[in-house]
Amino acid sequence: MINFQLPDFSPALPEMFLLGMTCIVLIVDLFLNDRTRLVTYFLAQVALLGTLMITLNTVSLDVQTTFSGVFIRDPMSDVLKIAVYTAAFVTFLYAKDYLRDRGILKGEFYVLGLFGVLGMMVLISAHNFLTVYLGLELLSLSMYAMVALQRDSAVASEAAMKYFILGAIASGMLLYGMSIIYGITGSLDLSEMAAQISTQKSHILMAFGLVFMIVGIAFKLGAVPFHMWLPDVYHGAPTAVTLYIASAPKIAAFAMLMRLLIDGLYGMHEQWQGILIILAVLSMGVGNILAIAQTNIKRMLAYSTISHVGFLILGALTGTQNGFAASMFYTLSYVLMALGGFGMIILMSRKGFEADKLEDYKGLNQRSPWYALMMLILMFSMAGVPPFLGFWAKLAVLEEVVAAGHVWLAIVGVIFSIIGAFYYIRVVKLMYFDKADVSEPLSSSLDMRLMISLNSLAVLFLGIFPSGMLNMCLLSVPG
Amino acid sequence: MIALSDVLILAAILFCLSVAGIFINRKNVIILLMAVELMLLAVNMNFIAFSYFLGDIAGQVFVFFIMTVAAAEAAIGLAILVVLFRNKRTINVDDLDSMKG
Amino acid sequence: MGTEKIIFYIFAFIVVFGATMVISVRNPVKAALYLVLTFFASAAIWLLLEAEFLAIVLVLVYVGAVMVLFVFVVMMLDINVARLKEGFIRYLPLGIGVAVLMAVMMIMVVGPEYFGLDKIAAPERHGADYNNIREIGGILYTVYVYPFEIAAVILLVAIVAAIVLTLRRRPNTRQQRPEEQIAVKRGERVRMVKMSAEERK
Repeated sequence: MINFQLPDFSPALPEMFLLGMTCIVLIVDLFLNDRTRLVTYFLAQVALLGTLMITLNTVSLDVQTTFSGVFIRDPMSDVLKIAVYTAAFVTFLYAKDYLRDRGILKGEFYVLGLFGVLGMMVLISAHNFLTVYLGLELLSLSMYAMVALQRDSAVASEAAMKYFILGAIASGMLLYGMSIIYGITGSLDLSEMAAQISTQKSHILMAFGLVFMIVGIAFKLGAVPFHMWLPDVYHGAPTAVTLYIASAPKIAAFAMLMRLLIDGLYGMHEQWQGILIILAVLSMGVGNILAIAQTNIKRMLAYSTISHVGFLILGALTGTQNGFAASMFYTLSYVLMALGGFGMIILMSRKGFEADKLEDYKGLNQRSPWYALMMLILMFSMAGVPPFLGFWAKLAVLEEVVAAGHVWLAIVGVIFSIIGAFYYIRVVKLMYFDKADVSEPLSSSLDMRLMISLNSLAVLFLGIFPSGMLNMCLLSVPG
Repeated sequence: MIALSDVLILAAILFCLSVAGIFINRKNVIILLMAVELMLLAVNMNFIAFSYFLGDIAGQVFVFFIMTVAAAEAAIGLAILVVLFRNKRTINVDDLDSMKG
Repeated sequence: MGTEKIIFYIFAFIVVFGATMVISVRNPVKAALYLVLTFFASAAIWLLLEAEFLAIVLVLVYVGAVMVLFVFVVMMLDINVARLKEGFIRYLPLGIGVAVLMAVMMIMVVGPEYFGLDKIAAPERHGADYNNIREIGGILYTVYVYPFEIAAVILLVAIVAAIVLTLRRRPNTRQQRPEEQIAVKRGERVRMVKMSAEERK
């Protein structure tokens, strides 16, 4: 019989707490009606805060693995998880009023959202092909269902269907690649795999499996040419769900990239670097150029996401520790900006009015100078204008790309960023220099207003003092 | 004796058939979902073949989990399909074009 | 050629035939049934590869539950099959082209050059006392207990998602509510009316 010892559960305490709380939310929600639904919201937020507290209390600089090596807890996982909780917390807060106004404030939004967070945590802490796959699927399945949550909306169900089919195909591709790599290395464990690869000469078979895996990863990240689902899903889903999909899962996608390509297949750096260069250049190009043609702001931000993913990949493909840190810094900065950007769309919208057209932002300055300023900060930051956070993120990535000897890639990145700046600045022009069609002031609850102001000011503040966050990324990334 | 390559080739053919099915069936979402199931079957075939020839049971455990997830995936996919059909009265892939840009 | 190889080729042929029919027939019910055939033949091949437990699970879970779900949904949705036929020919060359190209490349890589019997020898067959289920169970509940729990959560998500997406309480339909039937009191059903006796006409 197998000699079995009870694993050390303590590194997985946050996961266990969140799972327990989510089940409690699921059950408590049964006894609530639509008037008392806010209790579910508060419980969900308590669950996130509790998980945050547990993670903070057990944080350490050591690398621990448990559950026979399928679970890893390192400083990077802690930082990424804390970012995920924060993003989910802010998402839930922004989403509350939006969902209530549209009659889809159901407990299931929070339950599925929390299960999604759990999936991200599993993915971030994965140290085995099996846990990577299961975490990814837990996250994806929750998101497919959330997109379709607005059941009477034709566009939402269409978006969900597209997302589901393309996501399932991507999973199939990823799995096929995993099966080949498992067949060659004879192990599902990422460390053992890395050890195997370093001893044997990498041959065509490994590259074959790698290609399928990268196709799967690129699908999930939304990198060109595997980006087809992203604009439709962002456009079709209710804005609250778009906000969820656009923020925290990007952190998980970054973690998946790190776990698979760096923890597992770092020995094949030369092979995957070439593919990632193509993905990065195409994503920055297609994302920035197609974003210009959009009239719907959710679609525009979707294409902008694609271009940001290009930058994220750019940092990772350098294959250096500083490059990974820059990529991580970029991911966290992007998530902060995306939360603000989609949060502003929710702030502008009201019952029966989605505020998802660019022209809806005309003359925002006359209606509400403060929120126009907040939106200005977010747009300038996404465009990469100093001194906002987005500028430092882009700079960090470009510096590392140059340091790794890919000067031409850095130049391409700069050129596409300049092209990209056009459509962000167009939003600013609409807000400040066009006349408003409607003059009524914005109406939204106090917590939403406070949080979105805090969100935008954080982009400004971290832009002025970026070194703390950058150092944190440098410290936590594995070498 | 079956060679590992025999099973792997069978899985590769299955995989390519499912990709072809995804390309051909622009009209029926249900058959697309079945093509995805075929793709997962190809992956499972790969894992089981490697598991047998490597003498490592972990590959079979992976297949066990893929089948669990695939069942969950099918349930959610068909639920989304039902919602889609109620809204649009069609499951034609070419009719899923209300968003452009 | 040994018997084993002949059996393998027969079932491999059925798998490929079934899969081809799944993607080419127009009627979704027929496609589902061909998929069942494919699964059965695959299960036979898995038995040859000593994956007995998974072969049984494939038949029980896939054929028994997932495919029934497919057929159920096909029957539930009133699909116009005639319209679904259009455009099949248009995409056919593209589909076949991509598939053949991919197949040629993939077979070149996974073919006998790297995975032939001379490269990786077939392992010894286990004896009659070998228990595949015991082997899987032994590792599943010890080494892979964490993924096992996550899989349970995934199934829970599927339940929650399927219910939230498809459960509808229509206001105009009649349905039984046992809990209300049980909790009913006499006063809710019988109303005593006080009225004076009427005179016979």
